[in-house]
Amino acid sequence: MNDALQGSVPTAVDSLFERSIIDVGIPPCPVILDRFMAEARKDEPDYNRLAIIIVTDVGLSAGLIKTANSPYFGMRQRVRSVNEALAILGLDTASRAVAGIVLRKAFPNVPNLERFWDASARIARLSGWLAQHLEISGLRADDAYTYGLFRDCGIPVLLGRFPNYEAILATANQDAVRSFTDVEEEHLPTNHAMIGCILAQSWWLPEEICLAIRNHHDLAALQSANFNLPMLSRRLIATGQLAEHIVQQQLGLSLTQEWTKLGAACLQVLDLREEQLEALYVEAAPIAEAEE
Amino acid sequence: MNNIDSLTGFLDRLGCLHEAVMLTADATDSGHPFAVIWLDLDRFKKINDSFGHLAGDEIIQELALRFRNRVSGRAVLCRMGGDEFVFLVPKCDLAQAQQLAGELARTVEEPLTIGNLTLRPTASIGIAIHHREDSLTLIERADRAMIAAKSKGGNSIVCSGEEPIPGRLGITLAREELSIESTLHTALETGGLSLHYQPIIRADGEIEAVEALMRCSVNGENISPGKFIPVAEKTGLIIRLGEWCLLQGAMQARQLHDAGYCTKVAINVSRAQLVSPKFTQALHAALICSNAKPELVELELTESLFMDVSDTIQKNLKNALAAGVSLSIDDFGTGYSCLANLKDIPAKKLKLDRAFITVLPEDRRALAVVKAMTQLGHELGMTVVAEGCERQEEIDALLDVGVDAIQGFFYARPMPEESLLPWLQTRNSK
Repeated sequence: MNDALQGSVPTAVDSLFERSIIDVGIPPCPVILDRFMAEARKDEPDYNRLAIIIVTDVGLSAGLIKTANSPYFGMRQRVRSVNEALAILGLDTASRAVAGIVLRKAFPNVPNLERFWDASARIARLSGWLAQHLEISGLRADDAYTYGLFRDCGIPVLLGRFPNYEAILATANQDAVRSFTDVEEEHLPTNHAMIGCILAQSWWLPEEICLAIRNHHDLAALQSANFNLPMLSRRLIATGQLAEHIVQQQLGLSLTQEWTKLGAACLQVLDLREEQLEALYVEAAPIAEAEE
Repeated sequence: MNNIDSLTGFLDRLGCLHEAVMLTADATDSGHPFAVIWLDLDRFKKINDSFGHLAGDEIIQELALRFRNRVSGRAVLCRMGGDEFVFLVPKCDLAQAQQLAGELARTVEEPLTIGNLTLRPTASIGIAIHHREDSLTLIERADRAMIAAKSKGGNSIVCSGEEPIPGRLGITLAREELSIESTLHTALETGGLSLHYQPIIRADGEIEAVEALMRCSVNGENISPGKFIPVAEKTGLIIRLGEWCLLQGAMQARQLHDAGYCTKVAINVSRAQLVSPKFTQALHAALICSNAKPELVELELTESLFMDVSDTIQKNLKNALAAGVSLSIDDFGTGYSCLANLKDIPAKKLKLDRAFITVLPEDRRALAVVKAMTQLGHELGMTVVAEGCERQEEIDALLDVGVDAIQGFFYARPMPEESLLPWLQTRNSK
């Protein structure tokens, strides 16, 4: 085992980070943990690869941001992206904490979140790429990535608490008329967008990202000039929906009806025409299909 | 058409003056109000110096496009040169002009990308409303108001003639309030909020609950809740602050429970939160994310709720009870408190306003009122708490008339989150 894992004595930051990951309550993906440990155990681990692996996981990334924005690091500077958080904590610290999570089996009963983990990572990556590729006005690729990664972080929380949530999700995914959150609220007192928003607020993520998470299934919020939603939030929502649509196109899956309901409004926000999409599918394919 | 600015397609300075002459005459004849809004970008020279004039032109063009989209049809758009824009708005009174100025300010604030850099420009805006004067004087007043806005440090709106000025959210706010509003935004973006906890002690010495009190600190400077809560309520920011409190307070309840303390955490909820149809969702989201036992969470309802108990409020309160949390009525006995409403709020706890407490035990009439309120509370099946207790004599008098629990400096001041558990542990070991 190399220095990153052996290190010296665990520091206060190590345990703070480990605690944050557990507090966030979103179990890290076991495959990502394995991949991370395999790389970290090498005699000469590739630090770039470690960083790439860690920022792909919703739970680990949320823990990173929560820790970097905690009072321990002072309050002058706030990080707004996973990469910034990793830069502040340092890869050594992050590696030791991840190793701690694995060794102590901090998440003993991980529900099956395969689709969530996979979709979040792909949508985040593609959202970041779209922000850059389409040169979306005022939208930083980092913000688009962060939003894409955390957009649905309410889902694992609800899966962990409500045994019937998997069935509710399936219904909401298939409904081509009612909004996704309306379907959730038929069965639950809240919805995953609200959960995601208050979690993101508690990690001190930027207001525009929190509001985008809160309203990402809301057609009226996306369209109406009167709805008090910043343009940046609308662009984040539209970018995330487009990313999800492209991923489903590429993988030949039609898992949700969101593009049917929100697609036209998203294109309008992004100033794109329907006929531009074909070319975009082709260009985005390598990003959408990539495994890491 | 020589009076068109080539960069933006707006009227240029001369075109603006010509148009203003006509609109002023129209306003005088018709008696309709007429507003002139002068907008100047903050620190534009710096942008020009750092990125070059081409980049500067690009910014002006982008902003012109945004202005056109935003105000099209409502105003005559003019560029006076450099980074100075004037909007001539016929049939527009002060309130409408303030609203439009707020919209323009927000339009400017949208992030702007130059190369690989994202700027968030701001503007100083001056407003003047036509008042039996010629067009030149009117435009000059708008210009002077803009300069006043600039001298305040920019990013603000000033109306000619010292009228109150609108804040970022377009709501009329006084100058100090504007600066508090901006600090609150910074606090929400930089982790400048925290909760302090003050214990409430029962007559038998047990802990009834701890009340979560919001604190705001930016760059080492603390702003008192008495100052920032009213501003947050006016601007609607209270909903975000309130949701943040719900989650943090519920998390504290869970942490105390994990540490072996079944201590209730009382969280303040404002009227603005309760009139929102999203309140129930936010409450459940906080309970789910924190994994707190609902019976360890109490919502303190401020007296302003009593102004008007609407159907939405009733529904939200009913849902809160169904979720398993309890309700208490804060600051009872002053302000909008109304006995008729007391029966409509399904609260389990009544907190008597400190105004009655600080004059005890000498003020016999105040004591009589406290006694009556306590009896009323008990008749309604409520626990009665006295707030703001600082002296032993007050506590003796209160317990004597049957008050169930005491909150105040006498037992403990509000303490930061990290001190609460040690305080409970020390108290337990005594």
